Amino acid sequence: MAAATPATHAPAQPLVRLEGISKHFGAVAANADIHLDIHPGKVLALLGENGAGKSTLMAILSGRYRPDAGRILVHGRPADFASSRQAIAAGIGMVYQHFMLASRLTVAENVLLGQEGAFLLSPRKMQAQVAALAEEYGLALDPAARVADLSMGERQRVEILKLLHRKSRVLIFDEPTAVLTPGETAQLFAAFRNLTSRDRAVVFITHKLEEVLEVADEVAILRRGRVVETLPRSRVSTGRDLACRMVGREVLLTVDKAPLAPGEEVLRVENLSGEGLDDVSLDLRQGEILAVVGVAGNGQKPLVEVLAGLAPPREGEVLLLGHPWSEFYTRPSWRGSLCYIPEDRLGLATMPGMDVVDNVLLTTRRGFSRGPLLDLGRAKTVVRDLVEEFNVHPRDPNALAWQLSGGNLQKLVLAREFYRDPRIILAEQPTQGLDVAATEEVWERLLLARRTAGVLLVTGDLNEALQLADRVAVMFRGRIMDTFPAADREKVAGIGPLMAGVRPGESGA
Amino acid sequence: MFGLTAHKRTEPPGWGSVCIFPAALTLALGLGLGLMAATGRPPAAVLGSILSGAFGSWRALEETLLKTAPIFLCSLGVAATFRIKVWNIGAEGQYALGAVGGAAAALAFPGLPAPVLLPLMFAGAALAGALWAAIPALLRLRLAVNEIITTLMLNYLGILFLDWLVYGPWKDPASHGFPMTALFAPGAVIPRIPGTRLHWGLPLCAALALGLWFFLSRTRLGFELKASGEGRRTATYARMPYDALVLLVMGLCGALAGWAGLIETSAGLGRLQPTVMAGYGFTAIVVAWLARLRPLAIALAAFLLAALRVGVENLMLDFSVPAAFGRILEGLILLCVLAGQFFATFSLRRAKAPGTAREAA
Amino acid sequence: MNPDLIVPLLAAAVQSGTPVLFATLGEMFTEKAGVLNLGVEGMMLCGALAAFVTSLYTGSPVLALAAGGLAAALVGALHGMVCLVFLGNQVVSGLALTILGTGLADALGTPLVGRTAPGFGPLRLPVLGDLPVLGPAFFQQDALVYLSYLLVPAFWFFFARTRPGLRLTAAGEYPAAAAAAGLDPIALRWAGVLGGGFLVGLGGAYLSLAYTHLWTSNLTAGRGWIAVALVIFAAWRPGRAVAGAWLFGGIMAFQLRLQAAGTTLPSSLLLMLPYATTVLVLVVAALRRGASRGSDAPEALSVNIEPED
Repeated sequence: MAAATPATHAPAQPLVRLEGISKHFGAVAANADIHLDIHPGKVLALLGENGAGKSTLMAILSGRYRPDAGRILVHGRPADFASSRQAIAAGIGMVYQHFMLASRLTVAENVLLGQEGAFLLSPRKMQAQVAALAEEYGLALDPAARVADLSMGERQRVEILKLLHRKSRVLIFDEPTAVLTPGETAQLFAAFRNLTSRDRAVVFITHKLEEVLEVADEVAILRRGRVVETLPRSRVSTGRDLACRMVGREVLLTVDKAPLAPGEEVLRVENLSGEGLDDVSLDLRQGEILAVVGVAGNGQKPLVEVLAGLAPPREGEVLLLGHPWSEFYTRPSWRGSLCYIPEDRLGLATMPGMDVVDNVLLTTRRGFSRGPLLDLGRAKTVVRDLVEEFNVHPRDPNALAWQLSGGNLQKLVLAREFYRDPRIILAEQPTQGLDVAATEEVWERLLLARRTAGVLLVTGDLNEALQLADRVAVMFRGRIMDTFPAADREKVAGIGPLMAGVRPGESGA
Repeated sequence: MFGLTAHKRTEPPGWGSVCIFPAALTLALGLGLGLMAATGRPPAAVLGSILSGAFGSWRALEETLLKTAPIFLCSLGVAATFRIKVWNIGAEGQYALGAVGGAAAALAFPGLPAPVLLPLMFAGAALAGALWAAIPALLRLRLAVNEIITTLMLNYLGILFLDWLVYGPWKDPASHGFPMTALFAPGAVIPRIPGTRLHWGLPLCAALALGLWFFLSRTRLGFELKASGEGRRTATYARMPYDALVLLVMGLCGALAGWAGLIETSAGLGRLQPTVMAGYGFTAIVVAWLARLRPLAIALAAFLLAALRVGVENLMLDFSVPAAFGRILEGLILLCVLAGQFFATFSLRRAKAPGTAREAA
Repeated sequence: MNPDLIVPLLAAAVQSGTPVLFATLGEMFTEKAGVLNLGVEGMMLCGALAAFVTSLYTGSPVLALAAGGLAAALVGALHGMVCLVFLGNQVVSGLALTILGTGLADALGTPLVGRTAPGFGPLRLPVLGDLPVLGPAFFQQDALVYLSYLLVPAFWFFFARTRPGLRLTAAGEYPAAAAAAGLDPIALRWAGVLGGGFLVGLGGAYLSLAYTHLWTSNLTAGRGWIAVALVIFAAWRPGRAVAGAWLFGGIMAFQLRLQAAGTTLPSSLLLMLPYATTVLVLVVAALRRGASRGSDAPEALSVNIEPED
């Protein structure tokens, strides 16, 4: 091991250096001639849109892919990783978006898996060992807990412990905040600081600008497989500045939202309780977007499930287009009714193994029925038009759903659901994981949809809520803490405390 | 492995679906013949015996066609349930209940004329098979009881139930103690096609295959079946009546397998006796998978497996091979085809070559 | 209750439950590593035949036992080949294995039908065997029954307290996690398939070496399938497998006794008892699982490990 470089600003030898890395998939250059230095004691943000090549680059660094050209230097010596095992041995570890944890095993078992030491295991000793490691890095965890019982933030800490136990010097995080609540995000960033203060290097992949501004020491911007810029945080002024560098053009991070005259009431929820909900009441009119915001896991999911007809209401009343829940969902009409745009695009909203036409037919099949038969010819024609209108790539109606990128899949789902002329739209995290361009398109579609429908937007992204919503409802522990117009500045300023269950005038609980 | 790595294909291989199946079949036959050679039977002569037994004469071909019908019907039903990922391996028991249901009608109304009695028997067989199949379906839907085990146990129970009937209440007093019912009245026997040993059950099978193909590919219910097979969560999201679909396909399978049992009882034996159980319900699983669950391909695969059975019967005479050799071949064929399908979804490359994986970003 | 009636029935229950117990533990072992193998019935029969033939020709029951285990593991290796190398559907491959295995045992065993071979006889344990009631019920059995007594705690200990046990569990719960930890989940699953196959083979060997000493066709009569059901009933816990296996042993013994006593009940209906009980047991297990609906199965059970890219 080379001596640890002191965490000063001196341009010391980098821990890891990438030289001229290139990687092609077929004709597509995912990475082209990439040069990048990773320094100990620093947080490096790898910023880029979807498809910019961030994940490929990190997959190469963590040994999952081999580059077609270029080399990786660790401590100045060339390294050739044939597998992630070798990368881990060289001190480079990765925390994936989907955690690599066995949920039935305990925290200690997950951390020590593969490095258990003796043939005979002592759960007590294993837990003590992991507890000591967690203590050292200030990561709060119960080593005896089963992973299944942990929150996403806690699971992420288990992943970090796994890497630390393997003496990783470079820790790579792939969009680590996508699954975290704001509080957990803050804790994660604190952990980043803690790690860098101990001379580890942190690399995190993101497309969230505010996170870069908050935690990064250095920013590398990827565009179309190339590193277009590497600069220290001090040289970045604003998020808008970063966004321009990332996209290569001026982006509108605000959308034009002219309020519409509210129409008739399409949805009314009164005193809905049970399944994690506590006396929820809200109403929604045509012509408006009502954003339900809150930390994930505070009742949004059960609320959406009841409204979407996937679970019956336990207590209280739900009126959809004037009909009670049970009446509405006895025989829901495919058209002019309610549509649900779920968070899980591939696997709930679409079938990965079916083609675009079949995926459109999923919820619109009644529209293409002639008696018991399906008019596949007309379906194909309609799909061709929809794909064109909603700018879905590829235009091929026979493409399979898994072959579409996240943004295109979401546009396809919107195209399908809007074809049903919905009066109520339930949109759940509609832009999560989408790049700036796709986000803009989705936002505009939702604003447009207000003309004929009421939109209930469930989102964890406060910015999105404020950009789109006419009214905002804040949820905490299954309750609606408050509902107010998005233009009410005073109330908006109090959203943060409300999301933590603190009403204005009350002191912190 | 062996310096090769597997990569998921981004599009289906053009040659694959054509080549994989014959290659797997050849491999399985080769292994079977190797086993024969190891026990001192010349492979070429063994193969000749199988082929001539199955196709060597008009009589042999008739025999093969006759055996195709029950395998085909069971397989059609099994494939429908596999499609929606209900692992129904209970065709054998549903077949038994169909035989019982048909026989019940035949024994209850021996005086009726054929045009009335035969439809009644078909209705009885379908009803009995469907109800038998509904038990595991309901247990799965209501209580999440594993249907693999329940359908299999219901096979044993169905066969034993049939045994109990023919050893007990339904036994023909004139059978000298043999477990069998009395011969059916002429009106209860499916007539033969004049000039052949084939019966009218065969054209019925062809009609059913076409009907089912049309149902699956052209109707809304067929689309819902296909979609529900892809994933239950999305099916629920898209408001597909998943529970009803499971009951529907299980009932369908029970009815089809029941008809197979009826045809074998009525046209094959003319009475109900334990020998009607010939393991067609298990062969049907092999066939369904060989045909990758497609109705028209099932017809072809059923014919091939029927030919194998008839051929092995010939082999028993020529080389005193035990009857179980047929099952060995069926097992080998299924294993080889399963392994072979790997090449339809994956391609092998040298380990160091660049992959064509899709962009994970 | 009269111990003169209960004790022999209990002893018979243990004896006829033992092959099912071996098979259940074997399948459980394989499933813990994430592989569903429905070929138990076929593997068991092959194990029974291999053991019988070995005993016939060598006269050594111990050698025969090993042969039974190895033969079943070998048949199981075909399942491993199809599912671990060629990523075939585990349900269908297991069915194919049953079709093949029962066919093989039937075909190769035909000339042996009716022959007898040396095997394991009763072995009265000192002290324990002299206990009242418990002694004659549990400790005047053959050596393989005692082996099964040891196997159950050993099985638990292996998964709860040893390194390979933890790794095998990881391969069954989340193979990608095992791979990320530097392990080879496919190799681990191979160990699950072969090790479990060996145990299943011991169950088959028990049938021909200790239960009957005699070769008949279809010696297993569905015991392999019952073992698959018992794994679910036992919720992947070895202790509960004992309860399930002995319950079945009891039913089979009871049913045989009734027939031997010359009951007027038709034998077809009596033969239904074990199969009907299997369905019943699964329903009971489902009801007990009840509202929680959470499955106890290993998370990645029957899910194949696909290449990474």
